[in-house]
Amino acid sequence: MKIYDYWSSLFWLMLSIAVCAESLRLGIGTLGNPGMGFMAFGTSALLGILSLVLLISAIFRNQKTKSTNLLFGRVLWKRIILVLISLVIYAKLMPLLGYLISTFLLMNFLFWIVRGQKWWWVLVSSFLTTLISYYLFSKWLSGQFPDGIFGF
Amino acid sequence: MGFFDNILLGFQVVLDPNNLLFCVIGVLVGTLVGVLPGIGPIGAMGLLLPITFKITPTSSIIMLTGIFYGAMYGGSTTSILVNIPGEAASVVTCLDGYQMARQGRAGPALGIAAWGSFIGGSLSVIGLMFVANPLAKAALSFGPPEYFALMCAGLVILTYLAQHSILKALMMALVGLLIGNVGLDMITGLPRFTFGINELTDGVGIIPVVMGLFGISEVLDNLEQNLENREIFETRIRNLWPSLKDWLEAKWAIVRGTLIGFFLGVLPGGGAILASFVSYAVEKKVSKHPERFGKGAIEGIAGPETANNSATGGGLIPLLSLGIPCNAIFAMLFSALIIHGIQPGPLLIRNHPDIFWGLVASMYLGNVLLLVLNLPLIGIWVQVLKVPYRILFPLILLFCLIGAYSVNNSTVDVLLMILFGAVGYLMRKLGYEGAPLILAFVLGPMFELALRQSLLMSKGSFMIFITRPISGIALGVTFVLLISNILPSIKKRRQEYTEFKE
Repeated sequence: MKIYDYWSSLFWLMLSIAVCAESLRLGIGTLGNPGMGFMAFGTSALLGILSLVLLISAIFRNQKTKSTNLLFGRVLWKRIILVLISLVIYAKLMPLLGYLISTFLLMNFLFWIVRGQKWWWVLVSSFLTTLISYYLFSKWLSGQFPDGIFGF
Repeated sequence: MGFFDNILLGFQVVLDPNNLLFCVIGVLVGTLVGVLPGIGPIGAMGLLLPITFKITPTSSIIMLTGIFYGAMYGGSTTSILVNIPGEAASVVTCLDGYQMARQGRAGPALGIAAWGSFIGGSLSVIGLMFVANPLAKAALSFGPPEYFALMCAGLVILTYLAQHSILKALMMALVGLLIGNVGLDMITGLPRFTFGINELTDGVGIIPVVMGLFGISEVLDNLEQNLENREIFETRIRNLWPSLKDWLEAKWAIVRGTLIGFFLGVLPGGGAILASFVSYAVEKKVSKHPERFGKGAIEGIAGPETANNSATGGGLIPLLSLGIPCNAIFAMLFSALIIHGIQPGPLLIRNHPDIFWGLVASMYLGNVLLLVLNLPLIGIWVQVLKVPYRILFPLILLFCLIGAYSVNNSTVDVLLMILFGAVGYLMRKLGYEGAPLILAFVLGPMFELALRQSLLMSKGSFMIFITRPISGIALGVTFVLLISNILPSIKKRRQEYTEFKE
């Protein structure tokens, strides 16, 4: 955990410095008349101090006293990256292709990514999921989904 | 209006067919998410929050609260039958529940969990009725310094009770406050930290944050593992009604669980998870045969399951009377009320008696419904457990995507949710907790307003927080808690507590 604490504290420290700088730009005002950056400045300054405490404790911590838990120790972490990428692509494609097509494609991918599924099962499940979710959320609950360039 | 008139009003509200329907939906969905490991009550509430835009505030709050206490019921089923807690407040039920199931006593274990939940849930609602109104009247005299101090205390207590490092929990609370800063400044009306993205002008929405941190990240965490079917302990579930001997053994555990749950529920930063752990520890401590714990002691189920349901009623007190949610789940209810234009706080009971008393009555009714529906439906919930995760996870992801999109019909919210999902996944890996972040995020705007107003009132003097008795006491408690963390004895106790949880 030591190395992860080291890097994560550095990340929070950088973030706090960036927010402090932006808060100063927005104007922190005075104690008697706090500005719009007042709260963010105080919060990020505190975050910076705590990050430093974590960083220092990570540097001086005895590695042997803590059990190390590998971040990506298990073998299937690539699946996570693929799923995250597919979700981002889905969010980008949905306004273009419309709800039905983009959801059908996403469902195919998500059902397929777990091994051992037959192709026809993936197709049928994706089709049914897309259709049922569309009728449930769009027709029954009056949600508004994008139609996309194909108009459906 | 007298007390009984208010109760009658509450039942009149909840027996309206629409409210009744949403009460049933809430408790059933709650039980479902409680049964299914992979999405907890916070994720489910986030998922259904967009749907509540189309219903009345009363129906909305009735349904969302139903999800919460329904999940407390449902969580015990998986703990007892599969040794996998459906949600965090049922972790401790695994210890004795699963052992009882292995000994062929799954029926009484499930039965006492349901009855304990029913008794704890119902009694805590009585407590809620008697305490919330007087507290709300007292809170009318609270000013910004008192609110600021109480919110400080709530956040610090929540971080103090963090499962992992307090330092990291405090950092997460600060990050939550920072995220709450995004959007229009409440005093000047100018945008800040929006990076030129129009959708961020109203601030970061609660739904993308909650679904990302609690829904998507949970799915990602599960995806990392093999998605083989969970093994369900095959046993015939019979004798759901506990025997007289079981009742005699469990009766004081239920009484203690009710009291522990209620008072820890009221405590800022407390809640169902803490209540269940404390109840288990107390039962083991007071038992004449502590060696039976972990080997199928019925008190080890009755106490925690009663306590986690009792905490539901307790936790509603600070939310409804002070307008301060005491943990992440109540932060969701807080957001739901705000979305409907209703400010939780001292004036809620006076201005919206239908919501308060309707909610109280719905909790009575919901607890009865859960008991009546769930015991006969346990067979169905067991079947639900057999649904393979490889089928479940695409559906959970799709519901999250739809939920995030439906809020503003914007893909920015979807992308934000995915971002928070990835961040939440890394947070889990690195030992950072999401609950302090969510609570601080929801409290953020109120927190900032109270701080700035207090400083304006005092012309820049921080003494205003110390010279006023309530804020002084609250900040004193906060300070003592923060300082006590560095004491070696407290550190040792925390270590013991963490080991006990593991």
